[in-house]
Amino acid sequence: MSSPAAEPPIPYRQYICHACGWIYDEAKGDPDSGLAPGTRYEDIPDDWACPLCQVTKADFSPYTPPVRPAAGAAPRTAAAGPRVAGKAAPGVVIVGGGRAGWAMAEALRALDAALPITLVSGCAADVYDKPLLSVALARRLAMDSLVRETGAEAAERLGVRLMARTQATRICPRTLTLSTTRGTLPFSELVLAHGAQVALPPALPAELCWRINHLDAYRRLRESLGLPDTGVWPAGMSPHVAIVGAGLIGSELANDLALAGCRVSLIDPQPEPLARWQAQGAGQTALRAWQDLPIRFIGSVGVAAVEEAGEHKRLRLSSGEVLQVDQVIAATGLATPHRLADSAGLTWRQGIAVDPVTLATSHPRIHALGDCITIEGQASRYIEPIGRQAATIAAKLVARRQGAGPDACPVPYAHRPAAVRVKTSSCPMTLG
Amino acid sequence: MNVADMPTDVAAATRTEDLLAAVRAIAQGPLAERAQAIDEGAYPADLLHALGAVGAMSAHIDQPGRPGSYMDAMAAMAEAGKVCGATAFMMWAQAAAALYMDASDNEALHGERLQRHLSGATLGGTGMSNPMKCFAQIENLLLRATPVNGGYRINGTLPWVSNLAAGHYFGAVAAVEGEPGREVMFMLHCDAPGVTLKPCPRFSGMEGTGTYAVQCKDLVIGAGDIVADPCRPYIRRIRAAFVLLQCGIAAGITQGAIDSMWRVEDQLGHVNQYLDDRPDQLQAELDDLLATVARLAETPYDTSEAYFLDVLGARLAGGELCLRAANSALMHQGARGYLMSSDVQRRVREAQFVAIVTPAIKHLRKEVAALCADTLPA
Repeated sequence: MSSPAAEPPIPYRQYICHACGWIYDEAKGDPDSGLAPGTRYEDIPDDWACPLCQVTKADFSPYTPPVRPAAGAAPRTAAAGPRVAGKAAPGVVIVGGGRAGWAMAEALRALDAALPITLVSGCAADVYDKPLLSVALARRLAMDSLVRETGAEAAERLGVRLMARTQATRICPRTLTLSTTRGTLPFSELVLAHGAQVALPPALPAELCWRINHLDAYRRLRESLGLPDTGVWPAGMSPHVAIVGAGLIGSELANDLALAGCRVSLIDPQPEPLARWQAQGAGQTALRAWQDLPIRFIGSVGVAAVEEAGEHKRLRLSSGEVLQVDQVIAATGLATPHRLADSAGLTWRQGIAVDPVTLATSHPRIHALGDCITIEGQASRYIEPIGRQAATIAAKLVARRQGAGPDACPVPYAHRPAAVRVKTSSCPMTLG
Repeated sequence: MNVADMPTDVAAATRTEDLLAAVRAIAQGPLAERAQAIDEGAYPADLLHALGAVGAMSAHIDQPGRPGSYMDAMAAMAEAGKVCGATAFMMWAQAAAALYMDASDNEALHGERLQRHLSGATLGGTGMSNPMKCFAQIENLLLRATPVNGGYRINGTLPWVSNLAAGHYFGAVAAVEGEPGREVMFMLHCDAPGVTLKPCPRFSGMEGTGTYAVQCKDLVIGAGDIVADPCRPYIRRIRAAFVLLQCGIAAGITQGAIDSMWRVEDQLGHVNQYLDDRPDQLQAELDDLLATVARLAETPYDTSEAYFLDVLGARLAGGELCLRAANSALMHQGARGYLMSSDVQRRVREAQFVAIVTPAIKHLRKEVAALCADTLPA
């Protein structure tokens, strides 16, 4: 009854080697090195070595196997999707899981039910309305209510292979492949819809300044401000936020945070907010509307430095003034990241240059839409054009698969200036 | 005409050609004869000394009258790697150790000691797999350093360090006891008191690479062996060069695989045309990659994130391409390539090694993902 393999009073434990991952299981021992099954870890001599990599007992620690769902219980998104003879069938690969990426997937699926579509997204690719991030506090929108559909749900509904939390790193135009941090994807058509990022001036370090350009960052900003999900701070609590940049996004966020009870310092090198629409008096209108809100507009100054100051952040302004705040938000304008476009040698004009009618890039198999493109050197980072751009590209790609010529463009894109609605709820404006 | 009298670019091209011709003579002569024996466990010390003597493992280091060229160093590795991936890997280890010594501010590592290393008179390697994985948050440091008079006492065991034998040395990193986040880098001598080289279990290939687990028991490191203390700023300076150099191994194995496909094209082209990854396609991809590598090789000490991302991308592409090429070569050669005596099946295992040696494909992707992620306030 004292056989070591019999059920012991204390269950056998496992220990993992930090160097190579080999697991010492007390139940099995290490008979090749003279450790009988049942040898407890503490009874292993100090000169015993890992049979795989030779490190000693000191480099082992207790190991609990992770609990994982039974095989087949959960769908494995990365492996799903149409396959031919064990290989992913080349189809359309979309880079970007925001509004433009999903609009593209919707438009393609509407025209072709069988087309293999893969969507590569750096985030979870949850579907939400980005403009809501500028009004969510005033409207008391809880974080969860912002997500209309998770990325996984949208992928399921549209029959799209979603590669979430995956970075697209390189396009090889010769082999028509996209390298990603989860493998290399062949494509017959590639659509870039990866958007733009906030362009941080050197005085604003990334680790101290929030940029509200996607849902994850917005969620984390709300957490950092201690904002309950009801969207209102408890009485007596009123964090101080500095917003650098009083363009559209900066002004909208200032308005929203102030309505929720935040003290806001809104800083801009121009003498008034929304200076781009000065001729229409936008800045003066906004300032009048903010008179009774805790917003202080600090115009005609730059930010010389942002530093950590204990729990707070300290901003040194070019005027000499020093502000101590709880959080800093940079709303300093957008720029398109260029590494991916560069890797394919795409023509670049402050963004991915596309044909104004077909939205093709300089490579015939690569199209682009949304915030990452420029037309005649101009970006137009608004919501309205995205749906029309997706329709143009979808019609062209589907026609090409059906045998149309490479340049056939059944639904030409009409480039036109967008009207801008300023979602400063204290004073909504439409600007041209 | 004497090389010293030539215009700089002509002189450089001539030096490159001379170097590669000398490496080729060794690679296609004695190395080719012994490639299988090396795969099975014979460590080719004499061939490494010979390769060192022709400058095959020092071309990347600035020397009087000869500016360093990372591309030359990788081309030399590739020339050997076409014939024997294990040897290209050992050349990389020797070249990396040269980089550690040369880039150190410690004068004791320069001069005669560095010259002997550059000429291949003495041999060394790199125990940086564990620290590289540690800095990428993949594992913990395995060596611990306790400060003692003017130096450190080192304890712990490092698995799988290559190009080692009695009398060899390698660059290693230990965590300094009592100072979290501080590490010291040093040259570790295999013969030093307290050091034991322990044989590793048998691998499926690359057995003649002088690979051991290195056990340190109260090993004392003096000021003369310190590479960098603290070492993080130093490693930031050399990490891209360290990774970039490995592209030479991948390039050699890929080219060897492509060459072996052409060798059977006349006889088997009529059926091989139905295969994926034909030699002309792979060659075009390799040439594209080498053009990228050549551009990166011009600024090996660039510390920017963008440059490091490019280097990681090139190393990743090299690992993936050599896997595909070696595998496709076996498909092209068929049964003759599957013979135990065939270089074609050996190359499949060599390519797999390139894909798993630090930084492995999965590590590279993890590192790239981390570098691509937005930095936001904590």
